[in-house]
Amino acid sequence: MPENKFYKYSLKLRWPSICRNRSVEILKERPDLVEKMNNFREKVSNVLKIVCRKSSYVDNTHSMTGIRLWFESGQDVYDFIIRQPEFDWEVVPTLDVLNIVTSQLQTFEIQYTPTGVVVD
Amino acid sequence: MKNVYITIVGNLSIRFDLHESMHIGPVIASANSNKSINFAYATCNSEIILQDMLNSTNFRGTNLLCPEELFKKYVFFNEVTCLPDFPGLKTLEIDPNNCTPQCLSLMLAVYLQPKIIFLLGYDLNNPIEFTRLKSIIISNPDVRFAYISNAQTKKLNDLDNCFCDTYIKYQEVIDARK
Repeated sequence: MPENKFYKYSLKLRWPSICRNRSVEILKERPDLVEKMNNFREKVSNVLKIVCRKSSYVDNTHSMTGIRLWFESGQDVYDFIIRQPEFDWEVVPTLDVLNIVTSQLQTFEIQYTPTGVVVD
Repeated sequence: MKNVYITIVGNLSIRFDLHESMHIGPVIASANSNKSINFAYATCNSEIILQDMLNSTNFRGTNLLCPEELFKKYVFFNEVTCLPDFPGLKTLEIDPNNCTPQCLSLMLAVYLQPKIIFLLGYDLNNPIEFTRLKSIIISNPDVRFAYISNAQTKKLNDLDNCFCDTYIKYQEVIDARK
């Protein structure tokens, strides 16, 4: 994680369908899946560099569902969500926001529509 | 890191240089009734006022805190933060969506747990506001409240953890800690 930045927003991006919910044992036996996942992570990281105006990064912690992304700017998160059809990937419809006063991570359901994003 | 002193600027206009207040700790604004400095925090529960604050240069860099209902609409704005769940809201019968911004500021200040909260330009004329202030003071005996006003008032004298003082005395407190 880059230092001296406050990453307020977090999203989870699902792995490509073939890689989802794979246990560590399975991944050891299937290097093709690991390679696919690494390529996916690299691709997302490159897209973040192009799309985001402020700082963002891909979390290194492994999850069976997908990869966690952290954003400094809310406008970048919004852009990232509404541009998902362009990159053909699937965002988990929850947005985590770090509260600067309480230091707690608050989770909100998001509804993606072609005209915008609504928070429930 | 906890702050020892927190200053709240209420709904009333005041004649005091708030840059001085920043020397002793964060200053919390109540909505957009005061725009004299870049505040550390500002509270708001009206969408129109929040929009005005988002577009005002005076609130650039200020954490704008609003209730969850309003926060959800402005979640993608970096400056906007959700107000915490204040303890005792139900017992005090305070609805964060409908109370005054100065009441929100007071609850936020209490949540931050300073030693002393200075109340500047805090409106006591409204009986509901006055009762709420007294209830909050009574329910937080570990925090001392200083009501700063040039007009003499004895309304809060019966409370152990509250005292009234003038702006001159407040300036002396600031000067001693500069």
